[in-house]
Amino acid sequence: MIVHPFDYYRPDTLKAALAIHEELAREGRHPIYYGGGTEILTRSRLNEGRFDAVIDLKNIPETRQHGTDRGQYRFGAGVRLTELASEDLWPFLTATADRIADHTTRGQITLGGNLLSTLPYREAILPFLLTDSSTADVAGKHGVQSRALRDIYDQKLNLKPGEFLVSVTVDGQEAKGMAFRSYKMTRQDWIDYPLVTIAVARREDGSIRAAFSGWANYPFTSSHVNHILSETSRSARDRAARAVSSMPHQALTDIHGSREYREFVTQYTLTNILKELEASQ
Amino acid sequence: MKSLTKPEQVSLTINQEPCDVVIYPGETLLYTLRGDALGLTGAKPGCENGDCGACTVLVDGVPMKSCMVLTAEVEDRDILTVEGLKETPIQRAFMDQQAFQCGYCTSGFLMVGHALAQDVANASPERTIEWLRSNICRCTSYQEIYDAVSSVVHPERS
Amino acid sequence: MSTIGTSVPRKEAPNKVTGRARYTNDINIPGTLSAVVVPAHRAHGKILSIDTSEAKKVPGVKAIVIGDDLSVLTGDVTQDRPPLAKDKVRYWGEPVALVIARDESIARRAAALVNVRIKPLPVVNSIPDSLADNAPLVHEKNGDYTVATPPVSPKKKSNLADQANVKKGDVEKGLKASDVKVQVHVSLPQIDHAAMEPRVAKAEILADGRVLIHASTQAPFEVQKLVAQYFNLKPGQVIVTAPLIGGAFGGKAAIQLELLAYIASKAVGGQMVKIANTREEDLTMSPLGLGLEADITLGATKDGRIQAANMKFYLDIGAYTDSAPRIARAIAAQCTGPYHVANVHTDVFCVYTNHTYTTAFRGFGHMPMTFAVERAVDELAQALKMDPLEFRRKNAIDIDNMTPTKARLTRSNLGDLPACLNEMERLIGWQGGEVQAVGPHRVRAQGVAAFWKTSSSPPNAVSGAIITMNSDGSVNLSTGAVEFGPGTKTTAAMILAEKLRIPLDRVYVHEDVNTSVNPEHWKTVASLSTYMVGRAVLDAANDLLQQLLNLAAIVLRCSPDDLDYGNEHVFVRDDPHISIKFSDLALGYKYQEGDSIGGQLMGRGRFMIRHLNLLDQETGHGKPGPAWTVGVQAVEVEYDQETHQYRVLKAATVLDAGRVINPQVATGQVMGGMNMGIGVASREGVHYDPNGTFLNPQFRSYKVMRMGEQPQQYLVEFVQTPQMDSPYGARPLGEHAVLAIGAALANALSRAANTPLNTLPITPEMIWQQRRERR
Repeated sequence: MIVHPFDYYRPDTLKAALAIHEELAREGRHPIYYGGGTEILTRSRLNEGRFDAVIDLKNIPETRQHGTDRGQYRFGAGVRLTELASEDLWPFLTATADRIADHTTRGQITLGGNLLSTLPYREAILPFLLTDSSTADVAGKHGVQSRALRDIYDQKLNLKPGEFLVSVTVDGQEAKGMAFRSYKMTRQDWIDYPLVTIAVARREDGSIRAAFSGWANYPFTSSHVNHILSETSRSARDRAARAVSSMPHQALTDIHGSREYREFVTQYTLTNILKELEASQ
Repeated sequence: MKSLTKPEQVSLTINQEPCDVVIYPGETLLYTLRGDALGLTGAKPGCENGDCGACTVLVDGVPMKSCMVLTAEVEDRDILTVEGLKETPIQRAFMDQQAFQCGYCTSGFLMVGHALAQDVANASPERTIEWLRSNICRCTSYQEIYDAVSSVVHPERS
Repeated sequence: MSTIGTSVPRKEAPNKVTGRARYTNDINIPGTLSAVVVPAHRAHGKILSIDTSEAKKVPGVKAIVIGDDLSVLTGDVTQDRPPLAKDKVRYWGEPVALVIARDESIARRAAALVNVRIKPLPVVNSIPDSLADNAPLVHEKNGDYTVATPPVSPKKKSNLADQANVKKGDVEKGLKASDVKVQVHVSLPQIDHAAMEPRVAKAEILADGRVLIHASTQAPFEVQKLVAQYFNLKPGQVIVTAPLIGGAFGGKAAIQLELLAYIASKAVGGQMVKIANTREEDLTMSPLGLGLEADITLGATKDGRIQAANMKFYLDIGAYTDSAPRIARAIAAQCTGPYHVANVHTDVFCVYTNHTYTTAFRGFGHMPMTFAVERAVDELAQALKMDPLEFRRKNAIDIDNMTPTKARLTRSNLGDLPACLNEMERLIGWQGGEVQAVGPHRVRAQGVAAFWKTSSSPPNAVSGAIITMNSDGSVNLSTGAVEFGPGTKTTAAMILAEKLRIPLDRVYVHEDVNTSVNPEHWKTVASLSTYMVGRAVLDAANDLLQQLLNLAAIVLRCSPDDLDYGNEHVFVRDDPHISIKFSDLALGYKYQEGDSIGGQLMGRGRFMIRHLNLLDQETGHGKPGPAWTVGVQAVEVEYDQETHQYRVLKAATVLDAGRVINPQVATGQVMGGMNMGIGVASREGVHYDPNGTFLNPQFRSYKVMRMGEQPQQYLVEFVQTPQMDSPYGARPLGEHAVLAIGAALANALSRAANTPLNTLPITPEMIWQQRRERR
């Protein structure tokens, strides 16, 4: 049952998608781009969100790209999370995305849908946040532009009105060169939003980077925290404790857990991750 | 470009039969299936939020929560509902293990179990659990459901 | 050939694995209108105005009803609940208006346009809030409402909707005689039934005045009576049907949507109207299971004999009473748990709050009550440095003891708890309550808890059965019990097959219940169907057999006393060759000449529980139910002392089933009960924010168990001590496996974490918090 009626468009090309968006916007309508639909349909049902047309991007070949392209791993925005896992191009991404929602739902959620979700979690972004080479390929007025992910990520992926995400990429060498751990910690249940999801990369030079989801209202990494985590002269426990007290934001308190408990869980999880990564050198 | 801006007739393939139905552009597959035209009420509304899995059907063999799919998205795809299961091993196993009580979640679990049996022969126990975690049952202990699915997907273990 | 004791599938099983099983919302008549509620988005407030003008303009809207349009107050015991909020809203999600439209989409769009202005009032957001001096009143008229079914004793100008008590012996003296005393405070949140089928009802008013109601209800006959009573109709005018039900757990014994459906149909000239809860509405608007705070004091002599129990139970019943007074009395009546305690003083208070109102929940109050008692019993065992299982064995209630309400216990009306404890010791490999280290920071611990429960049914509860014969000699069985999962209909059919000595597949059950066709069955609750329906079926079977024998006696030219039956024949006992088939008698016997006698054979049976009474308001003495089912539950957990995460390795139940009618079904009931009980104890609970807003109205926030989270191993055994007045000796067992498993889990984890865990749900954060506070 859908409370608010909306129109459905399924363009076959990037151009057609942009064109229909522009046309609808010009008519004063409120079109949104549509990936797997799981979030849009839940919001529509609850009468949340203001849109009257959806533009389904899954039929556009570019959004379905999934493979290695001149040394780059490319993940189309229309690739389902289960497809990421079965291809397993970048195991770090698989490990992180494979804990989102449940298996059936992961067969519906697209990578683009997760990255651009209005919910605070968007765990699939975490591995990308830990790289230097990641790009977001965005379709807009001037065709598809490849932008450095770090340039357009500020609490969220910032796209201009009418633009949509086509794919994300990461340099294969960089991706392969890092050891990683990704742990989703929940209040109690396997299927739940994260209390905190922690993705940690140990890069070829031995430095450590960590990204967090569930701690704040958006996923983030912090160079300050990464710096602390990389001080390998200190013990893992010490670094984890210092990292937790140096986070750029206070942890949330919500029905999943209190601020103090989030800190506690983050600290022991980070400690364990650091120990594991450094033991496996 | 496919577009749907008003109620319109679409062609669906459900349980290997072509069906023409009139749908609204924003209509979910669950709604279409259960509507008067098709009357396929085996898929159940349990939350209509993608959380419980009682409405799970297979689209091209892949389990999908039909409350979270627009009917417009699945034209020209193969849709399999519980009504399309005919004397399959998974149904027999659910009977034998008494893998249900009230029966309301059963269609959804059957569809996930059937997909697992079709697609991932000899799926590991971990994978079986991972697939079945997508659904909620409030009556059984889950062990009965696990045993039923397990007896089909890895008969050598049970 | 015997059917009883064999594992047969449910009669409706083939329909359930093919999508052919039809539930209320699967059966739709084209043209049915849809009704949707406008919920309150304040937990407590005065309704200033309700503006429906914009909503009425939406094309397809047929009518909008608000509280002021109605004068009726409803309630199982105390009539304190308007079907639509009037003057005040008392919980977040309470229905304020009802929009009826051509379809649900239109109704929901219109509902969003109804403008409800509410002046906020201070929110009574907890039991302590409610009991505080000068607490805001949830009901200004508390104490003045009509009481439909006494007893209830509300306190005016307070938030106490009711209080019940039980006194036995002298509790002061008992505590003085105790060498060791423990005091335990427990706190449990409200929980949701979370049946997979959201509640749904449809109603239409025919031109001839009959009212047809179709609903997912455990209590179709109660719906019939109450709709008639509330809306000045004759009971016969109201016809209620209930098809298969997608889980109930007590939550579908309450009557809410049925009333709204009737009101909606009335507003549109009697057209069929459906109201189907969304999951969010099912959680926030429809009744929950109650929350509890309790203070338990137990005393024992140093040889480990419990001397006294002094207990106070405060029930968070939410905004309306519903069945809370009955639950309060059930808690009072069984307040000691299954232990012999000579000196008891227990008070149970029903406390109004600005939370969603509550109703029966699997176990009828015995689950939270058992949690409180069993935590205290375990603490007492620990204080005495006794093996907790041994301590329970020492104090186990047994025949010739008296219950707290001074009901007499016999071998028939009480299961054998010592035998259950002995069996549990073996089944789980009991380690004496010792915690074992199994790795760095990892320990294993076991916990045990025991339960008992009786039905707390009204003393005049009835059940009936009608058997008709088909031309081939098979039979149709009609009863008034609904089917929501436990195999009620199949059990009744098994009892009938056994009695008639015919195969089970020769019994056809009438799956739906229709109050105008099926004989009355009080409500399908309290795990009583096997007992009550079973007795009615046996009565009907005897009636049918008498008719078969009488007719056969005429045909075979002998006395009915000479006859016996079997293999679908009636035969002469001393010369079985002289016989006649059931099928030749079923629709009357036709002589060779063509003339016939008899007519269709049909058996009528009925049953009424005997010797029950309402508990005395002063002392609480009386007999609350026909018999007490007892059992023991235990878990083994592995607990991580660093992360406070844990895993249930084993969950075990030993229950005195009297006689197991269908082993596979009974085992499934018990396993499912354990799973639910562990879920309640480990993750479930409603969250309200400081304004009383319901924070977790979906399955992504109200967490229930999922696959893979269940115990690694379920262990189930039955002791069989027959209940003499029950069919084949069977004791009720449907609800029971939820009762003590949560307490067993808390007992195990309290030992493992070395800190008392008296708050549910027991999440790692809760354990972490308890340990921090203790340091």
